[in-house]
Amino acid sequence: MKAGSRLKFSEWLVTLPSFVWLLVLFLVPTVLVFAIMFKPATPYGGIGEGWTLATLRTLGNPNYPAIVWRTLWLSVAATGLCILLATPMGYYMARVSPSRRRLVLLLVILPFWTSFLVRIFAWKVLLHPEGALKHALVFLGLIAPETSLLYNAYAVLLVMVYTELPFAILPIYAASEKFDFRLIEAAKDLGASSFLAFRKIFLPGIRVGLLTAFLMVFIPSLGSYVIPDIVGGPTSEMIGNKIAQRTFVDRNLPHAAGLSALLTIAVLIPMVAITVLRRKENPKDTLIEEGV
Amino acid sequence: MTKKILAMAGLAAALAALCGCAEKKPVLHVYTWSDYIKPELVQQFERENDCKVVIDTYDSNEAMYAKLKAGATGYDLLFPSSYMVKIMHDQGMLQKLNLDLIPNRANVDPAYMKLAYDKDMEYSVPYTVTITCLGYLGSKVQDFKPTWAMLDREDLKGRMTMLNDHREVIGSALKFLGYSLNTTNDDELEQAKNVVLGWKKNLAKFENEQYKTGLASGEFLLTHGYSGDLMLVQSENDDIQIAVPEEGSQINFDDMVIPENAPQPELAHKMINFILEPQSAAELTEFIYFLCPNLPSYDLLSEEIRQDPILFPPAEVVAKLETLADLGEDNVKYTKIWDEIKAGE
Repeated sequence: MKAGSRLKFSEWLVTLPSFVWLLVLFLVPTVLVFAIMFKPATPYGGIGEGWTLATLRTLGNPNYPAIVWRTLWLSVAATGLCILLATPMGYYMARVSPSRRRLVLLLVILPFWTSFLVRIFAWKVLLHPEGALKHALVFLGLIAPETSLLYNAYAVLLVMVYTELPFAILPIYAASEKFDFRLIEAAKDLGASSFLAFRKIFLPGIRVGLLTAFLMVFIPSLGSYVIPDIVGGPTSEMIGNKIAQRTFVDRNLPHAAGLSALLTIAVLIPMVAITVLRRKENPKDTLIEEGV
Repeated sequence: MTKKILAMAGLAAALAALCGCAEKKPVLHVYTWSDYIKPELVQQFERENDCKVVIDTYDSNEAMYAKLKAGATGYDLLFPSSYMVKIMHDQGMLQKLNLDLIPNRANVDPAYMKLAYDKDMEYSVPYTVTITCLGYLGSKVQDFKPTWAMLDREDLKGRMTMLNDHREVIGSALKFLGYSLNTTNDDELEQAKNVVLGWKKNLAKFENEQYKTGLASGEFLLTHGYSGDLMLVQSENDDIQIAVPEEGSQINFDDMVIPENAPQPELAHKMINFILEPQSAAELTEFIYFLCPNLPSYDLLSEEIRQDPILFPPAEVVAKLETLADLGEDNVKYTKIWDEIKAGE
């Protein structure tokens, strides 16, 4: 009994730094954002006295559904494409020789050695209307000369997939590495085709990796701001851009806070859903150990 | 006894340190736009006044304002645009200028002073004037005409940009329709919105920074932008032409102001007076390509700059220019239309 409580105490002590970190840098700011949402805005960009529901009402702005819809479909599409591309990659990395695996792993991580912004600007050069790629595509008759490769929702999607692909590959690879490939041999011995074995044995086997990849790509996608700002056009604005506009140009902090709160809730939904799902499947696999 | 001597020595050392402190050069903290002042002039000012100038930069009035509102202090001299000067003045963020310390204020071009918001220079002095223009590639844009209607040209679709600024964009459409760019008339604003929605179909982007390199590299063929910025990229690509639309456009002043809590207000006044010297103003105009509205400085400019139709527009063009006013509560009307424009397909 005594030993048990002492164990608990030392556990608390170990958790304390990260707990304080999260409390001060995540929970408190989030609560502040939610609180500011219920404050009135002043015309000079300040936060007024008292409390109001005015911001909540203006969040019903008829122009928002289009932006929310665009943010959602771009994030879902980016996540889907990333997982689609990352799964065979993870499978391959788990099967090749260790030396080749190290090389591929290095290639996956290599882009991080260059600044995120520089890589986005590089895409602007690649897709430049007078650039080699554009000329090649026009020469091959694949696109019309007046087609623009940049400044539309598809350019945003392309760069989002490019940026977030490593975040999907790494967890899927980690899960694949632990996967027992003898199970696939067994399935084949029992008459399954390669594809059937991949679908029915491999994919469920790396389920945790797939879920992590989903979260790692979907959540940052929802909050995208820089990518639509740089390679997006007049009709590829996402929620992140709207928050920036409300903060700087319109000087309406409560409204920006309202949009941020909306985004936070949108991010929490898939996280909670996945936690609940995992707990249902494996009650012991909870985030917080209860009653040790 | 020895203790006393030691204490005296300690006191003397402390006094010496204090004197050393007092002799240290004063520091002037300037908060301005990037590449907006000639470094040699700053060095000259430092030499003449035995001081040090520290320059910090911002990329939009809003970013500067947000930083000061968040409690940033220690700046002595700011260079906001006029509409932001009004917002800051209304909130008591600016010092009333001591005009006795700025005798060179007499050099400011009265023709531009008529358009300025703070006509008596009570708390702001004009630094530069900018006209919002159209920049284009002469060899790629066939039969260019100086009109906002260029933005309707389907053959330039996807290769044009407008500023990502609701007042600039809606203001251009209002000018195109023959209205004031400070209107609060709902019907006029509705018409302007429809004009912009038509233009938007042809735009690659609403963009404040990248349009410059975009135009220089041929990515964009026609861009809406500020005269000084466009002239700067013109020096990189001769093909770039600049025009003021004949329906009229917006003229912006960037002013010099001293924040309420400036630590070195006297030095800041000296800097303003130094910039208003004809020689300094002429050097600045030639360096940053934004016109310093300083009458005696015009004679010191090179013939090429003096003949430039953008820096020195003809009287009939100037007559159609309008300055932006902060609309207070009515700003919401522009914000609402801008939302509708941004959301529209």
